[in-house]
Amino acid sequence: MRESSDTLSDQPRTLRVNGSRLLGVGLAAGLSAVTIALWLTGRLGLYINPESSWFAVSMAIVALAGCAVSFALPRGAEVDHGHDHGDGGHGGHDHHGGHDHDDHERSAHAGVGFWGTAATVTGGILATGVVAAIVLTPPATLSAELAMQRDTGTPPLFQGADTIALASTGDTASFGVGEWASVFATATNPEAFDGDEVTLTGFVTPGDGGFALTRLIITHCVIDAQPASVAIAASGDYATGQWVTVTGTIRDVDGRLALHATSVDEVDQPKDPYEY
Amino acid sequence: MPVTEQALAPRSQRLERDPRLGRGLLIGVGVLTVAALVVLALVSPGPTLPTRLQDGLTLSISVLIESMPFVVLGVLLSIVVQVWVPPGVIERWMPRRAWARRMVLSLLGMLVPVCECGNVPFARGLMLRGFTVPETLTFLIAAPIVNPIVIITTHQAFGFDDGILIARLLGGFAVANLIGWLYSRHPDPDGLLTERFAASCAFAQEPDALARRDRGRRSLAQFVVELRAVMPALVIGSALAGAVQVLVPRDALLAIGSNPALSIIAMIALAMIVSICSNVDSFFALSFASTFTPGSIVAFLLVGPLVDVKMLALLRTTFRTKVLVGLVVIVVLFAVAVGSVVNLLA
Repeated sequence: MRESSDTLSDQPRTLRVNGSRLLGVGLAAGLSAVTIALWLTGRLGLYINPESSWFAVSMAIVALAGCAVSFALPRGAEVDHGHDHGDGGHGGHDHHGGHDHDDHERSAHAGVGFWGTAATVTGGILATGVVAAIVLTPPATLSAELAMQRDTGTPPLFQGADTIALASTGDTASFGVGEWASVFATATNPEAFDGDEVTLTGFVTPGDGGFALTRLIITHCVIDAQPASVAIAASGDYATGQWVTVTGTIRDVDGRLALHATSVDEVDQPKDPYEY
Repeated sequence: MPVTEQALAPRSQRLERDPRLGRGLLIGVGVLTVAALVVLALVSPGPTLPTRLQDGLTLSISVLIESMPFVVLGVLLSIVVQVWVPPGVIERWMPRRAWARRMVLSLLGMLVPVCECGNVPFARGLMLRGFTVPETLTFLIAAPIVNPIVIITTHQAFGFDDGILIARLLGGFAVANLIGWLYSRHPDPDGLLTERFAASCAFAQEPDALARRDRGRRSLAQFVVELRAVMPALVIGSALAGAVQVLVPRDALLAIGSNPALSIIAMIALAMIVSICSNVDSFFALSFASTFTPGSIVAFLLVGPLVDVKMLALLRTTFRTKVLVGLVVIVVLFAVAVGSVVNLLA
């Protein structure tokens, strides 16, 4: 078995070692570079809750440092650990004799056949393509369509929910769309909020008697994003997905709260489009 | 002389002439490459994509950025366990009996601050160190649930309502030990591993393998090897998680409603699709609490951290497909059982 692998030419082996570096260190470096780039431009909040940026950024730095230093590891040195058995490089192996290790080696070679190689190569190309797309495309936020598709009809429940209970009578100055959405849906004393003057920013989604002002709420990262919306009573036609700043008064109409707008201004998407 | 050493001979001779200069030069190239990548990511010259594709990509990126630090931490811990902790130190603290060892390992998550993605490289380190396959499986299944962060966030989300927190913790602990026990009955546990990884284990456990290289270099090699094993699976798993989210309409799942049996199935399907970290999935589940039964929430919280699409892709780096099928079947059946009991009691 070993003899046959020794007869392999040098070229495919080099290709494989380089390929395996690309798929390990290369992909990790690409993703860590994106993390750092987002952090440098203050846009990490587009993907994860800023509370955990310190962890993401410090580990990305560690990863990048490791990747840079790994260039000094001679190519093929990692096969001493036996992981890259498929590539026929057994440099570190031939100093020992027998035991059952040879059995493992034989079965390893039998297992990595054509289909195994094909799967590795396809998966490798796919993964590399995804990471290349991540590095090359500019950062983006989730679309309004996705927010609507995710609307379950229930208000989002998130860490900030506690502050709503505390503020059931008093200070609502710090409330965003998420907090107000919870208040609108769950307040047992809606009349307490009647007459509150508020200014909120979010994007437009369809709603009754005007539109709904929506914002995505993130607990940890964008994949757990939940939409929160506040009913806006306003005239005028606004395109779904348009960001607007609404100023108005909260009105309690038969126990259902809505924000009666005095002004609706179209604005650009803010730098921090999510609430946390 | 095997081909590796022949191929490397000229390089190593070159390095021997002035090893420090050669190494410094290579690291310099590495630093430049890494810096170039950061600049490329800053410039991001690519086009904006169609909405749906962009949403899928955005979701995948967020999973990747969220899980990368845990993977790096897991790789670092794996290096520590494999290279820096002297042989026998961990083993001395372990009980002798197999079931007791598995119980201890299923509580290891309380000490090791790694989310489920980081558990995979760490578990590989454990196996390279000589822990058996069933023992490592027990750790892998228990750690994402039985760990302090998950306990705190689940408590924040649900308190002690409907026994959700208790059912999740005990359920996670029990299913891990059940799986460990079942696989310890397997006649050929090493046959559960992918051939490549089994060969690495057999090689790493030879006594002379440990002494052969200096630790810094072995750490670096381990860093390269573990990233090679985990990164493609993590990227593909995250891409799948992102794609499935945009392709499978969520209302289709939610339409199944509050039927006690169907809601459990729906929440299990949702858990496998969304692939949220176990640290935060309770907040996500909380938003379904008003429409779904408590049992289905427990099922979601049990299945999600253990066998979602991202985890399956990661586990496939180390275990054969038949093991993954076995894990999914056991975990899902177990979750259905626990969920039904919770529904009956609640």
